[in-house]
Amino acid sequence: MAGSHSDPLAHPEVRQGSAMRYIAGFVSTVVLMGAALIVTMRHDLPYQSFVELVGGLAALALFSQATLFYGLDISRAQIWKGVSLILTLPLFIITVGLTVWMFQSLNQRTMVMPTSAAAASQPTLLQ
Amino acid sequence: MQLQVPGPWSPLLGRLTLNAIPYENPILQVTFAVVALIGLVIVGLVLYHKKVGYLWREWLTTVDHKKIGVMYIIIGLVMLFRGFADGLLIRTQQVLANGPHAAGMLGAKHGFLPPFHFDQVYSAHGTIMILFAATPILTGFQNIVVPLQIGARDMAFPYMNAVSLWLTTAAAVLVMISLFVGDFSQAGWVGLIPLTELPYSPGVGVDYWMWAIQISSVGTTLNAINMIVTIVDMRAPGMSWFRMPVFSWTTLSTNIIGLTAFPVLGVALALLGADRYLGTHFFTAGMGGNLMLYTNLFWIWGHPEVYFLILPTFGVISEVIPAFSEKPIFGYVTMVAATFAIAGISWLVWLHHFFTMGAGPDINGFFSVATMLVGIPTGVKVFNWMFTLYRGRITYSVPMLWAMFGLFLLLVGGLTGMMLAIPAINYTVHDSVFVIAHFHCMVLMVVCAGFAGVTYWFPKLFGFKLDEGWGKAFFWTFAIGTVTVFSAMFALGFEGETRRLDWTFNTAWKPMLVVEEVGMVLYVISLVFFATMLVVSIRNRHKQRLAADPWGTSRTLEWLTPTPVPFYNYAVTPQVNTRDELAWRRKYGLENTKPDVYEDIHMPRNSGLPVILGALAGVWGFAMIWRIWWLAAISLVGIVLVVIIRSFDKNAGYHLQPAEVEAMERDLAIGAIMAEQSDRAHHHTHAEAH
Ligand code: HEM
Ligand SMILES: [Cu+2]
Repeated sequence: MAGSHSDPLAHPEVRQGSAMRYIAGFVSTVVLMGAALIVTMRHDLPYQSFVELVGGLAALALFSQATLFYGLDISRAQIWKGVSLILTLPLFIITVGLTVWMFQSLNQRTMVMPTSAAAASQPTLLQ
Repeated sequence: MQLQVPGPWSPLLGRLTLNAIPYENPILQVTFAVVALIGLVIVGLVLYHKKVGYLWREWLTTVDHKKIGVMYIIIGLVMLFRGFADGLLIRTQQVLANGPHAAGMLGAKHGFLPPFHFDQVYSAHGTIMILFAATPILTGFQNIVVPLQIGARDMAFPYMNAVSLWLTTAAAVLVMISLFVGDFSQAGWVGLIPLTELPYSPGVGVDYWMWAIQISSVGTTLNAINMIVTIVDMRAPGMSWFRMPVFSWTTLSTNIIGLTAFPVLGVALALLGADRYLGTHFFTAGMGGNLMLYTNLFWIWGHPEVYFLILPTFGVISEVIPAFSEKPIFGYVTMVAATFAIAGISWLVWLHHFFTMGAGPDINGFFSVATMLVGIPTGVKVFNWMFTLYRGRITYSVPMLWAMFGLFLLLVGGLTGMMLAIPAINYTVHDSVFVIAHFHCMVLMVVCAGFAGVTYWFPKLFGFKLDEGWGKAFFWTFAIGTVTVFSAMFALGFEGETRRLDWTFNTAWKPMLVVEEVGMVLYVISLVFFATMLVVSIRNRHKQRLAADPWGTSRTLEWLTPTPVPFYNYAVTPQVNTRDELAWRRKYGLENTKPDVYEDIHMPRNSGLPVILGALAGVWGFAMIWRIWWLAAISLVGIVLVVIIRSFDKNAGYHLQPAEVEAMERDLAIGAIMAEQSDRAHHHTHAEAH
């Protein structure tokens, strides 16, 4: 074991990185997230396309970070990275999924409805 | 885009003015005097004994996992004391301010703490106890014990380990500074929303709370990565997964929770920060914000966080009980499985903290059932401990007493947790002190594990045991104090006392409030015993001669090293043959075998950069809190520079030669026989200075 970790540059993960990749990752991330910020602040897209656009930009940003910073690929040498990323997926599904479910129900029951007819037909907290 | 903050702001000092210093408050005057005095005494002693260089070389710049762990525990104990002082203030205020006729003093209508001050006290109490006392103490044990338990020389990333420590320290210092410069949050440890938004909390209190948590949780996250990699990658030959001691297993699972949960907190607080600093509307009550979103995010972190605390606690107890029952742990494999089951389920239950929000029966039903599922693996663990005790040769030493009282608290806390998990019950007791009593049983179990761990592993590190007699006096007063305070608190919960009251309006609560205060007196006495235990033990340290395993009945690998553990841990990396390696070697008379040949040992070099990084992070936090933009910019640039400097440092470390190692090992063995601690300590530091 001794000596194996003395030179950080000897690690395959470290060797994989390069200045070009980091710069590309940085620039692409800033551009993609900046675009999402601008779209959000302009308030001029209809709700549906706004959500799709920002979701798409987020997915792209995630992808560029995973490949350029994190060095994710499907080679055998990188298996731990792939596995650890996949292991976090269930957590994503649990937390985001249950949150969406919860808010849907919560909004129905506690938020003021846009039309009075809808409001009348919704159960209230006390029902 | 800076938000207009109420009150003065200047480019040079931000929001900081002389008014920020609460010099007219007598309680804080006394506190400041005491803190300043203690500080002066410590600085004076260091200067008098000419220990500045020693402190810098051996502690502040160290990358040794044991010393880092010790420093984590010291910080945790100091903050535990601070949090206890807050608790004492809360209890005393509530008993004094009872009923409409309660007298008032020091500017309070009833009692001695006005609401403005009282609210800060309980907010600081919760934040400190969970994030700056319990977490560092447990992290300290993991740092100290896990590398030894798995037969490693150090953590996987010794330098990053030091960075984590100093970030945590910087955050703790910020919380302490808030006592004397400005004020602390009044929105509870959970950050009640929208109270934490700028219009409702225009001062710096919430900013102190928010930035302190942000900085410390970066440290915690880095430490989680470090622990996971250490356990996956650094195990000694033969230390296969299912030979790993239970404490190491719980450390692995708890840090998986830490690594996945803390980023959620970071995001929630960053969004809150955007609201407070940039004028966004993530959690505001209007303008499209949604405050439930904050509560949801907070508890997505918050519930896993409580298991982040309890799993290592279970780990400590799983080490102490077998050692003092002289039996292997019962049901090892089920123990490991239960640990991971608990960690997994802890992600599915967060909504039980806001059943009353009104998400409806389906949702509440789902989270109720999920919460109750936790009881199954927890029950498995409790029965495993029981069967370990059953027909064991039990020694009621101090660590064992703490462990057994911990089991008792787990039972009470767990069962009341099950009650709270039933929405129908929860609607009646939510936000009452019944909840407070529930979780104090749980977090006091963490404290029990803390003291069990301190007394159990102390001799391994320092070469002498803590005094048993004073230790027992400490234990019994503390345990009886705990039972007194919290049985009364359960009763008050049923009597309808809600939490966070600065004025306990109902006179019917008086008797139980008095009982609680009596319990607090016991706690204070127990502290005196604790201090006495330390003093007496340190004074008598030369009277003991300790072998590698001072208890004589320990089972796991960490007890194989000489006592106290040399800075390189193992002279030769041990070959592990079985689970409970030391017990196995003892049985076959192999525990004292010496290696035939010594090899050279590669050690990392100390570095001053982590403590500088921590200091810069602290300055940065302070600048952000007071909105001193130039200082924030400078410290941020400083942080980036330090990271760059570090990346050019190859840090090749150095090598201990086989002859040196052999000499030191011989020295340690002789030292143990002759019990010449001071002499040995001399050789020890001498060797370390290489
Ligand atoms: C048997 C397992 C447990 C169950 C079923 C359980 C259940 C609950 C429930 C339902 C609540 C919400 C009460 C309310 O606000 O109405 C709660 C609160 C709490 N629990 Fe537990 N719990 C368990 C174990 C733990 C553990 C192990 C810890 C910590 C070490 C813990 C710490 C807390 C804390 C800190 C709170 C209150 C947070 C706050 O509102 O300030 N619990 N528990
Ligand atoms: Cu919970």
